[in-house]
Amino acid sequence: MLDIHDLKLSYGNSKILNGVNLSVKRGDVVSIIGPSGTGKTTLLKCINYLAKPASGTITFDGIRMDYQRADKAAIQAIRLRTAMVFQQFNVFKNMTVIQNVMDPLVVVQRKSKEEAREIAARELERVGLSTKQDHYPSQLSGGQLQRTGIARALAVRPDVMLFDEPTSSLDPELVGEVLKVIKDVTSSGITSLLVTHEMQFAKNISNRIVFMDRGVVAADGSPSEIFDAPSNPRLAQFLSSEHTLQ
Amino acid sequence: MIPELLSALPLTLAITFVAIVAGFGLALITTTFRVRRVPVISQLADLYVSYARSVPVVLQLFVSFYGLPLLVILIGGDDFLTATIAAMVGLSFYHGGYLSEVMRPAYLAVDRGQHDAADSLGYTFRQKITRIVGPQAVHIALPGYGNSIIYLIHNVALVMYIGAADVMATAHLIMERDYNQYQFPTYLVLAVIYSILCLIAWLIIRAFEVRSPMYATKEAPVRAALMPSV
Repeated sequence: MLDIHDLKLSYGNSKILNGVNLSVKRGDVVSIIGPSGTGKTTLLKCINYLAKPASGTITFDGIRMDYQRADKAAIQAIRLRTAMVFQQFNVFKNMTVIQNVMDPLVVVQRKSKEEAREIAARELERVGLSTKQDHYPSQLSGGQLQRTGIARALAVRPDVMLFDEPTSSLDPELVGEVLKVIKDVTSSGITSLLVTHEMQFAKNISNRIVFMDRGVVAADGSPSEIFDAPSNPRLAQFLSSEHTLQ
Repeated sequence: MIPELLSALPLTLAITFVAIVAGFGLALITTTFRVRRVPVISQLADLYVSYARSVPVVLQLFVSFYGLPLLVILIGGDDFLTATIAAMVGLSFYHGGYLSEVMRPAYLAVDRGQHDAADSLGYTFRQKITRIVGPQAVHIALPGYGNSIIYLIHNVALVMYIGAADVMATAHLIMERDYNQYQFPTYLVLAVIYSILCLIAWLIIRAFEVRSPMYATKEAPVRAALMPSV
């Protein structure tokens, strides 16, 4: 359902993406791992055009876009069918929890307030935030903020969920509550791309692991292929350093 | 003396009001072009802000007073410009340029992630500005906005140099008529009038400051609990 071909992106002289190719099937839960600075987050941002690649193409179901001739309609069509969960949460600070979840439904999807409120209440219950729905972001913990971000993303009924290091900014005590919600989401069958440094978690929830190194996909396979028998020397080195740290 | 001074107050207030409204509009347009970087227009907007901020206000008033009639004649109109209109135009341009330099940093101070979240959810630029970035930028801009209004009120006193009959000009007329016997009391009354004007402006802005940041203060729990659910 999602095909990315030869994606290239540079910031000044530093090349971030060096020709990334990635293909995702409906229902896939793909974890993207790799050292910092190898373009994992950038790749995710390119999918919904938060980062603008210099070249490459993306095909999303029937929508095909050449990044050199990116058109607004295609960008909007892809954005409406994906939803992103951010490392820094990016919950709207001027809105309460339930307003955060309702607003995209009312403003972008033009749903009635009643319907939006109903959907928002349901999604907030799913992430365990029913009692916090009238709180402002300044009153919430990191874990609660991230769960708000996940509820907001789920409420728009995306075809693909994009998780960008959803637990990297969290206090270790709060990581568990967010991972539990992500596990619940991914096990419901929604196609997901997850950039993460939580190796064990990635292994448990994914049916595919992509290892990125120096701006390209260096290894791609099932969790057991990647973690138990890494064929790529860089991958083996990366996993052993992660293992040493743990 | 006081009733005479107060009789000129409506003109001072009218000039201030026009400059606040027109200046706000100018600042909004200028800021939009400065943050969206449209070739040529954005550079012109930068140039305008630089003029408004670096040229002394009294000089801007002279430019407006002597320049506008030439402009009107150049485009073939009749010279209808009075000192008051020149003062309104001059101060609107000054205030607009100054205010743009309050709005632009406030817009830039809104976390990049707020833009990213709105963009990724499919908000249009206008929806993003009116619903998410704008309200947060207003909260950041309010203290600077209050200052710019106070500077504007101070600078309205300069319109006497181009012959507009505001409270300052009227005070000078009164003093000269009385052979400059009562300069100190007259200036003292003027000081009180300007202080009251600035105090009122400050109180109004302060009321907005208290209202707007409820999402960013520690008072929020109480307020949220009191608010009906959305």
